[in-house]
Amino acid sequence: MLKKLASVRGILSILLLLSIVYAAYGIYYKVSYWGFHFTPRQSANIWTIEAHISFEPTGEPIKVALTTPRSSDAFKILEENVVAEGYKTSKNKEESRLVLTSAPKVDKQDIYYKIMLFDNIDTRGKIKADAPKAPKQPIFDEQRLAAAKQLLQLAQKQDGDAVSQIIRLLNEEPLQPAVQAYLPVKSTQQIMVEIITDLLSLKGIPSRTARGFRLEESKKALSPDLMIEAYIDGLWKIYDIKTGKKGLPDNFVLFQRGGQSLIDVEGGENSVIKFSVLKSITSSMKLAGRRAELFDQQRNFQYSIYNLPLAQQNTLKWLSIFPLAILVIVLMRNVIGLQTMGTFTPMLLAMSLVKTGFWPGLLCFAIIMVLGLSIRFLMSKFNLLLVPRISAVVIFVILIMQFLTVIGYQLEFNIAQSAVFFPIIIMSWIIERASITWEEDGALNACREIVFSLIVAIATYFVISSEYIRHIMFAFNELNLVILFIVMLLGTYTGYRLMELKRFRPLVKS
Amino acid sequence: MFEWVKSFASPRQLSQAGVLGMNRRNFDVISKYNPRRLYPLVDDKVKTKELANKIGINTPHLIGKIEYQHEAKNILELIGNRHEFVIKPAQGSGGKGVLVIRDYRDGVFTTASGRTIGYHEVYQHISNILSGLYSLGGKYDTAIIEELVHFSDIFKDYSYQGVPDVRVIVYKGYPALAMTRLPTKASGGRANLHQGAIGVGLDIRTGRALRGVCRDMPVTRQPDTGADLMKIEVPFWREHLMIGALAYEMTGLGYLGADIVLDAERGPMMLELNARPGLAIQIANGIGLVECLREIDNHYPEGLSAPQRVDFVLNKRAK
Ligand SMILES: Nc1ncnc2c1ncn2[C@@H]1O[C@H](COP(=O)(O)OP(=O)(O)O)[C@@H](O)[C@H]1O
Ligand SMILES: [Mg+2]
Repeated sequence: MLKKLASVRGILSILLLLSIVYAAYGIYYKVSYWGFHFTPRQSANIWTIEAHISFEPTGEPIKVALTTPRSSDAFKILEENVVAEGYKTSKNKEESRLVLTSAPKVDKQDIYYKIMLFDNIDTRGKIKADAPKAPKQPIFDEQRLAAAKQLLQLAQKQDGDAVSQIIRLLNEEPLQPAVQAYLPVKSTQQIMVEIITDLLSLKGIPSRTARGFRLEESKKALSPDLMIEAYIDGLWKIYDIKTGKKGLPDNFVLFQRGGQSLIDVEGGENSVIKFSVLKSITSSMKLAGRRAELFDQQRNFQYSIYNLPLAQQNTLKWLSIFPLAILVIVLMRNVIGLQTMGTFTPMLLAMSLVKTGFWPGLLCFAIIMVLGLSIRFLMSKFNLLLVPRISAVVIFVILIMQFLTVIGYQLEFNIAQSAVFFPIIIMSWIIERASITWEEDGALNACREIVFSLIVAIATYFVISSEYIRHIMFAFNELNLVILFIVMLLGTYTGYRLMELKRFRPLVKS
Repeated sequence: MFEWVKSFASPRQLSQAGVLGMNRRNFDVISKYNPRRLYPLVDDKVKTKELANKIGINTPHLIGKIEYQHEAKNILELIGNRHEFVIKPAQGSGGKGVLVIRDYRDGVFTTASGRTIGYHEVYQHISNILSGLYSLGGKYDTAIIEELVHFSDIFKDYSYQGVPDVRVIVYKGYPALAMTRLPTKASGGRANLHQGAIGVGLDIRTGRALRGVCRDMPVTRQPDTGADLMKIEVPFWREHLMIGALAYEMTGLGYLGADIVLDAERGPMMLELNARPGLAIQIANGIGLVECLREIDNHYPEGLSAPQRVDFVLNKRAK
C-alpha cells in the first residue's frame, strides 16, 4: 500500500512539477511576447500622431520624403497610414523614411501621415553606436571664438557632465552677461540647438539633432520638440535642450535623429509640417494580438482564449477563477477539516457574495436564512411531503427576496440588487438541510454546519473577489493546470486535519 | 490565546499515539479494503438483513417493506395485529427517519418517547422515507417495517430514554475495537455521538468499560442518571464479537463497523453495518486505531474461521 501510495504521489509530484515548469514558461511567453501584465491594468494608451504636410508645387515632379519613427523598445506601432491622393508611396526601411512621389501638380498640396503608437515606455534612451567622425569645427570669427571659449569656461561651474553644463549655462535664470551677449535676442529651439552643437564641436564632442514629441494630448497643431544627442563614452546620449537633463523624457517619441532632415520636399516650396497628438484608450488585452504579430507569434495568439469574442472571454474569465475556489474548498475540507453543507454549496454562496457585495450579501443571507428557517419550522407542523415542502420553501424564498427588494428600495438601502443574486434553489436546500439537521441533531450541529459553510464561503469569496487574482488566473490560465495537480496531490494527503489535532487531543499520552 | 493553541495536539503526538485520521482512514484503509461494489450490501438494510439471516446473524425480523407510494396505504395490513414495530428508511444513516412505535391500539400509535400520533402521520412518515428525505443524496428509498427490539435492562441505568447499542470495529474479520453508545438527554435519546450521546470504550477481550467520552470530552458518570460508567460490563460478549466476525464473512468488507443491540429474549442482534465507521471510537477507548490495525496486519493469523478469530481475540493476553 505504502509503495503504491508513494508511486501515485511520485507521479503526481512529477506532473505538478511539469505543470509548474509549463506555467512558468507560459507566463514568461505571455509577458514577453503578448505584453501581459501581472496587475490588472485594464487599459492601455494609444497615441495617435498626425503629421500634416502642406506645400505649393513648383510644377516639377514631386518627391516628398518624411522621416518616420520606427518600432523600438520605447514604443510599438499599432497602425501607420498615409492619406495622399495621387501619390505613390514607398517606404525606405533602412532610413525609416516615407517617400511619396507624384507627377507635377498645380494646387496647394496636403498630405496626412498618421501613426498610432502603444506601449510607450521610458527608455532613458542611450544608444550604442560606432564613433562618428570628429565634429567639424564651427566657422567663427576671432571675437566669437573668444566669446565661445569664455562660455565653455563658465560652463564648467555648472552641474552635470560637459553637455549638461553647457545647456544649463545657456538656460540659466537670469543669464550671465557673457551668455546674454553671446545669444541672439530672439532665440528659437532651432537656434539653441545650433549654438549648443557649435559649442560642443569646439569642445570636440560630436553631436546631432533629434526631433520628437512628448506624448501629451494636444489637438493643436504643433511642431516637434528638438533635443540634442551627444556622443559620449561610445554612446549617443540624449539631452533636453532646456534643462540639460540626460535621457529621453517620459513618453517621448523620437521621430527622427541624426543628420537627415525631418522632411524633404522636391518640386514644392513653402512646405509646412504640423503635428497633432491624440490620446485614446483601449483595453490592454486588445493590443495583445498586435503585440503577438510584432513578434511573429500570431498563430499562438489566434488559438488562445484571448482571441475569442469579448462575451465568451468574460464567461471564461469568470470560469477560470473556479479552480482556485475549488482548491480553497478542498483545503478547507481535507486539510482544515471543516464540515460544510454540501461540498460546493459554499462556493455557490461565495459566487453570490461577489455579485451582491460582501456586507449586503451577508446581511441578505442572514435575513433569508432566519426568515426561511422560521417559516420552515412553522411548516413542519403541517407534515407536508418532501417535494411539495421543498417547493414551498423555494416559493417562500422567492417571496422573501421580493420583500427584501421592495424594502431595500424604499429605505434606499442597497440590498435591493443583492437579494436576487442568491441562487434560490440552493438557498432553499440550505434551509431544508439546516432545519432537518436542527430537528435531528439539535440546534448546535445545525448552527455549526451553517457557520462552517459560511466560513468556507467567505474564504472562497476573498479569493474569487480579488480583481488581482481574477486577472492572474485568466491572463495566465496555465496556472489552472498547476492547481489541478495540487488538488490531485491533496487527494493523496493522509495526514491529520487541523480540526483532528484538537479532537484527538485526549488521546495523546502524557 | 496560548491556552487555545495548547488545546491542539501536534501531528507528531497524534501519530505517536497511533491515531487514525479521517484522510488516512479514507485513503489507506477504506479505499483499500472496502471495494465500492460491496457498499450496497450494507447501505441497504433490506439486503443486509437478508444476508445476515442466511449466514446466521440475528437481526430484528422484517415485517414488511414498502417500495412505492401507492403501497403506503397498505401499512395497516402489513402491521396486522402487532402492537409494536419500527418503521425506518432502508438507506438511512445517523438514526434519521427511525420511527419507533411501542404501542399501537385502536388506530392510535404511541412512539418511543410517548407521543401519540394517528394513521395520517404514520402514512406521512412513510411517504417522506420513500421520497428520499432521509437517504443520502435524496435518492428514492424503501421503508422497512421491522420488529421492535426489547432492550435488555442491563443498560437501563446508563442511558436516558433511548436505546444503547454496541459498536464493534472489525478489521480483516478480527474485532479490533468496541464501544457502547449511551443516549443522553442532550442527545434526545439517540445513540449518536455527534448528537451528544456518551461513548464508552469496551475492552475487546472482556466487554468491560475502559473509559467514557461525551462530545469528545472524558466522562465517568452518566450525566442524567449519575450511574458509574466504569461498572459497565456487556453480557454475551462472545456473541457480540461473533456478529462482528461473521459480518466480515457476510460482506467481504475488510474494515467495517457493526451496530449491535441486546434484546432481552433473543440476545445480541445486529441492527446495521457501516462501511465507513467513524473515528470517535478511538477517543472512547483511549486507543489509536493505527496501532490496532497494524498489530492485526502483522501478528494475527490469516485464514481462520469466524469462531476461531473471535477465540483468538478473546484469548489474547492483556497488554
Ligand atoms: N428494530 C428496532 N427496535 C428498536 N429500536 C430500533 C430498531 N431499529 C432502530 N432502532 C433505533 O434507531 C436507531 C438507529 O437505527 P439504525 O438501524 O442504526 O439506523 P441508522 O442507519 O439510521 O443508524 C437505533 O440506535 C435504535 O435506537
Ligand atoms: Mg445506526
